[in-house]
Amino acid sequence: MPNAIEITHLTKNYGKNRGVEDVNLIVKEGDIFGFLGPNGAGKSTTIRSMLGFLRFETGEIKILGMDSVKDHEKILENVGYMPSEAWFYSSMRVADVIKYAADVRGLDCAEEARKLCERLKVDTHKKIKELSLGNRKKVSIVCAMQHKPKLFVFDEPTGGLDPLMQKHFFELINEYVAQGATCLLSTHVLSEVNKYCKNAAIMREGRLTMLESPRIDDETFLSFYEEE
Amino acid sequence: MKRMFLEELKINLKALLIWSIAVGIMGFSCILLFQSMEGEIQGMADAFSNMGAFSDAFGMSTLSIASIEGFFATEVGTVHGLGGAMFAAILAIGIISKEEEGHTGEFTFSFPVSRKKVVAAKGLCVLIMLTAFTVICTLLYLLGFKMLGEEPPMGDFMTFMLRQYLMNIEIGGICFGISALSGKNRTGLGIGLAMVFYFYDVIGRVVPDLKDYLFIGPFSYANASEIFSGKEAPAAAFIMAAVLVFAGVLSAFVCIDKRDLAS
Repeated sequence: MPNAIEITHLTKNYGKNRGVEDVNLIVKEGDIFGFLGPNGAGKSTTIRSMLGFLRFETGEIKILGMDSVKDHEKILENVGYMPSEAWFYSSMRVADVIKYAADVRGLDCAEEARKLCERLKVDTHKKIKELSLGNRKKVSIVCAMQHKPKLFVFDEPTGGLDPLMQKHFFELINEYVAQGATCLLSTHVLSEVNKYCKNAAIMREGRLTMLESPRIDDETFLSFYEEE
Repeated sequence: MKRMFLEELKINLKALLIWSIAVGIMGFSCILLFQSMEGEIQGMADAFSNMGAFSDAFGMSTLSIASIEGFFATEVGTVHGLGGAMFAAILAIGIISKEEEGHTGEFTFSFPVSRKKVVAAKGLCVLIMLTAFTVICTLLYLLGFKMLGEEPPMGDFMTFMLRQYLMNIEIGGICFGISALSGKNRTGLGIGLAMVFYFYDVIGRVVPDLKDYLFIGPFSYANASEIFSGKEAPAAAFIMAAVLVFAGVLSAFVCIDKRDLAS
């Protein structure tokens, strides 16, 4: 299988503060890859470097075989990203946000968006400012999935979602992955990784450790959260 | 980019209507006030034109407020100048930074559109908004003249509106650059900047030593009383305006492309 994500010696610092250090990561196409780690470990920094939100000092990132700096726009055409904070323009209605996301991509995603909204029970008539965090996250999932990207990048997607919606969310991921997509799932929830991921890695203090198996016990998992 | 530009217009439409109608109606009302004051205004005009530096600062030493052009220049000139400058500053200083301030940056910048194109869409939106603001105010002022039954000096009037438009673009351009640099909404700074430019011009016309440096501020070439009294604006003021707009817009493009975006 070719690599969907290939990170080599990535280092990113915020002034004097640590970001991530010498991160190496390979995610194969078709994988559901669990990306674990405590708060501030560097998961979001890695993801945000991959997607071009952050300018990194050293290293190389290839997404779907393309260079993350040179081919930035082309990469984003094929990526569905859900940030940990699902914020949109507050005055817009849900339907407008979803259509806007498709329009900016120059695609007609109406049919897929309708299907996703139905599965996730998204009320498209409400204004964004009227939505709870969970409902905003559902809108964010629709925006990330409606264009059927080759790579999904989810940053703590299930926080705020009720258990039934969490179940529907993972069902959707499995369906898209079965059709050839790849998924990078950043999360704190070990059970999600155990249940749904094929491979996993854990970040701690800016450094990445690949796990031999995503099926790890609580004790091993929590040992990564304890201070050195 | 086109879709982003249209959405940005939609988002800012309410602010445009509020500002243009508010400023336009104030100017329109000032024009209509001229009729009710026409009888007593001659005495006031004589008094105002003999107040030394104060008369110089507000142009009443060169224009009589007893005439419609003098009244327009001193009253509407101030209202439109300040109102337009504040609108341009508030609009431009928040248009890029609001994405990071409101945590919508990751949504906006996760589309397959380069940062430069996002900035271009926002810059174009500022330009269109300032154009629409000028057009709406111009129409309201012309309506005021028509209702008053006075023929405005069209050449001077259009020069004034055009220079004010240029001044708004200059202030907008400076604030646009700050917006890309900052990452936080700096509305207070924008309003402050507009006020500083205004008072710099007022004080510059009172203090003799400052007169040679008036060209630095954008109000220098858009001063209503000078335009209506036929004085030429210094070429240096226009060159300065072009340099500042260029610097503001260029720094917006360079900055946003180079720096990390907050989540």
